[in-house]
Amino acid sequence: MTRGTVLLALVISVNLIHAQEPTTLEDGAPFFSPVTWDRLVNAADEPQNWLMYSGTFDSQRFSRLNQINTENAATLELKWAHHISQLDRNETTPLVVDGVMFITESPSNLTAVDAATGRPYWRYEHELPDDLRVCCGRNNRGVAILGETLYMSTLDAHLVGIDARSGSLLWNTEVADYQQGYSKTAAPLIVKDKVITGIAGGEFGIRGFLDAYDANTGTREWRTYTIPGPDNPDNRSWAGDSWRTGGSPTWITGSYDPELNLVYWGTGNPGPDYNGEVREGDNLYADSVLALDGDTGDMSWYFQFTPHDVHDWDAIQIPVLADIEIDGTPRKTMLWANRNAFYYTLDRETGEFLVGKAFARQTWAEGLDENGRPIRRPNMFPSAEGTLVSPTAGGATNWWSPAFSPRTGLLYVNAFDGEAEFFIRDEEYRAGDRYTGGGTDSPLPIDNYSSAIRALDPTTGDLQWEFPIKARSRAGVLATAGDLVFSGSVDGYFYALDAVTGEELWHIPLSGRMNANPMTYAVDGQQYVTMPVGNVVYTFGLPD
Amino acid sequence: MRDRKRRTVLIRSLCGLVVVGLSLWSTQAIAQESENPFTGRVDIRMGQGQFESRCSTCHGLEATGNPEGGGPDLTTGRFRTANSDSGVFRVIRDGIRGTAMIGINPDASDQVVWQIVSYLKSRSPSLVAGDLPGSPVTGQQLFAGKGDCARCHIVNGTGGRLGPDLSHIADRREISELRTDLTNPNAEVDPRWWTLIVTHNNGAVIRGLRMHEDSFSLRLMDPEENLRSFSKSQLGGLERDKRSTMPSYAQSLTTQQQDDLVAYLLTLRREQ
Repeated sequence: MTRGTVLLALVISVNLIHAQEPTTLEDGAPFFSPVTWDRLVNAADEPQNWLMYSGTFDSQRFSRLNQINTENAATLELKWAHHISQLDRNETTPLVVDGVMFITESPSNLTAVDAATGRPYWRYEHELPDDLRVCCGRNNRGVAILGETLYMSTLDAHLVGIDARSGSLLWNTEVADYQQGYSKTAAPLIVKDKVITGIAGGEFGIRGFLDAYDANTGTREWRTYTIPGPDNPDNRSWAGDSWRTGGSPTWITGSYDPELNLVYWGTGNPGPDYNGEVREGDNLYADSVLALDGDTGDMSWYFQFTPHDVHDWDAIQIPVLADIEIDGTPRKTMLWANRNAFYYTLDRETGEFLVGKAFARQTWAEGLDENGRPIRRPNMFPSAEGTLVSPTAGGATNWWSPAFSPRTGLLYVNAFDGEAEFFIRDEEYRAGDRYTGGGTDSPLPIDNYSSAIRALDPTTGDLQWEFPIKARSRAGVLATAGDLVFSGSVDGYFYALDAVTGEELWHIPLSGRMNANPMTYAVDGQQYVTMPVGNVVYTFGLPD
Repeated sequence: MRDRKRRTVLIRSLCGLVVVGLSLWSTQAIAQESENPFTGRVDIRMGQGQFESRCSTCHGLEATGNPEGGGPDLTTGRFRTANSDSGVFRVIRDGIRGTAMIGINPDASDQVVWQIVSYLKSRSPSLVAGDLPGSPVTGQQLFAGKGDCARCHIVNGTGGRLGPDLSHIADRREISELRTDLTNPNAEVDPRWWTLIVTHNNGAVIRGLRMHEDSFSLRLMDPEENLRSFSKSQLGGLERDKRSTMPSYAQSLTTQQQDDLVAYLLTLRREQ
């Protein structure tokens, strides 16, 4: 046995010992142990941890923790803050595993801190080229974990595996060529022994896809294109060769149903964004949700929210999975408040459209037909002189997460009632350059519009309550078993609402913009709530 | 919006006149140490196309900013991180480290970057007033006298607080916009100058100019110029009057007097 072999055996045995040890040390502090597939499937059963981007595979962003609740939320106080040295938008959702928090930082860095104090263990800095192609800032939204490895997307369109204990790089895989306009910003999703990860670049004429990589080696296992090739009849939903540069990226994290073994993932806008004349047809599968086999990536079904989109209304929202009754019948459903201003309830086994209704201001459609297809109003396409349409290109909501509480049965969405003038122009595709075919302008100052947290009944799409906030918030929503809803505002407030009534229970002015989702966890019996604000990650808890 | 388009036409007709000084920036790129060699009308048109393609997602199609995303207005004639054409070139080429402003695709030639600079320059308020029919001297007298403008507006440290500070108004408003401001002040009211009518839970009703409003609170200046701050939870009612508090001068001043006043306002700009 060589010296290296002995060392390897020693490391493996230490890890096994760690895995078998109780999850607390003698002093009561939690003890990091490997995150097995079984732990991920049952993540809701260990609410002290936040094991994936949306908390659990159903992406309800709901925690069973209830120490902080409607009775005491008003006493929340700051526990610690973690400063990020970069000023780019801070869009991360941290993970917490057994008392260790993993925070991604702009542009593609990762740090591990003590979740009780915010003090650092290690930091990984990803080396990036100088000539990145990114549409909307140098952002990263979080990591996934399996075993003792963290998985992170990087802006140069790579996927990296990082050792969770040390921050060391384990492997670095190129997913796509960044010089062609590809980039990666979203947290991956673990499915069994694979890392599922999407791609960004919808403003650069890419051809979108969803990939799966071997979690141990970083080797690609399967790729499913979100624009079908010529051998698929759906390819005819694109005029000519327009499918080759049709966008349909996958730049936010999806969801997974272990019983059905289906991965659900939203797709972004067709390209060019605003000029649909060069890509006549429905442009499948842009602006859709795809249901893919978790082992092979084969498509089970799709549902397209906005056929032939010309307003940049990516279906890049988190697929929220919930088992609810529709008309007295239990259904496995998917809840989706879309950027196009319509709310949808779908059957997640089949993709059947069940419920649909506008949840925010919209002027572009009369409504949805019996299959959920929008009934367009005339003269709402972008034009050379400008066409006024609601919602804006940023949408009635966007990538920031909604939350669903099984206790109230309500879906909580950050909604925006805005309008924009949409313009069209001719543009030639050049690899690596922007390819949008138009743009937008706001006809009035932003203070003429408003945002709101809206609580929707997913069985009907009806509004149950709303809490107005200044336009336009870019923060997601967290729901807890304490019957609280947490979110943030564009003007720097972090706040808690009563999940049943929408009544405000607590707020704190923190000044910075909020471009992320709140999350919650517990260490040593104390519940915390974390929210990135500006370039600081703040954590709150009850008084000691 | 329409005013913006008219302004674009006006400015484009004047754009070829704009020449800037030598770069103050120490850079390694030879192109950045030079004057902009691409300032013709064709260059401006090409620059517009490049801007719309490469920059408009964050800065708006007309470069007036994106209130949703936070990209700033680039048509004010002043930039936070550059004070010359070559400075603007550098920002476009290299980006601003630590912010969402990334450098242009390196494949873009220096010519393309200069053309974008020229386009942005053309979108900035003109440095030349042109052949105005009015007299700035008479306009200044009207401002302080019959117009009673100084009651509400500060100019260079003197005047009232109940309207916008006009010390550098010509940096951000064009001739046609100023004329509209005088004759139809409700055409375009900045939310800063809306009137808030708040009803306190104790029954008191307070009116005032909207200094700042956010999701949970607001601050206003009441008619006595007191600064008041309210938590929205203290309020039983809140109304926003989006009309301007400024009177129209369409009837009270003759067309000639309006021209004089506009001519005076166009002298109110920063030293270039």
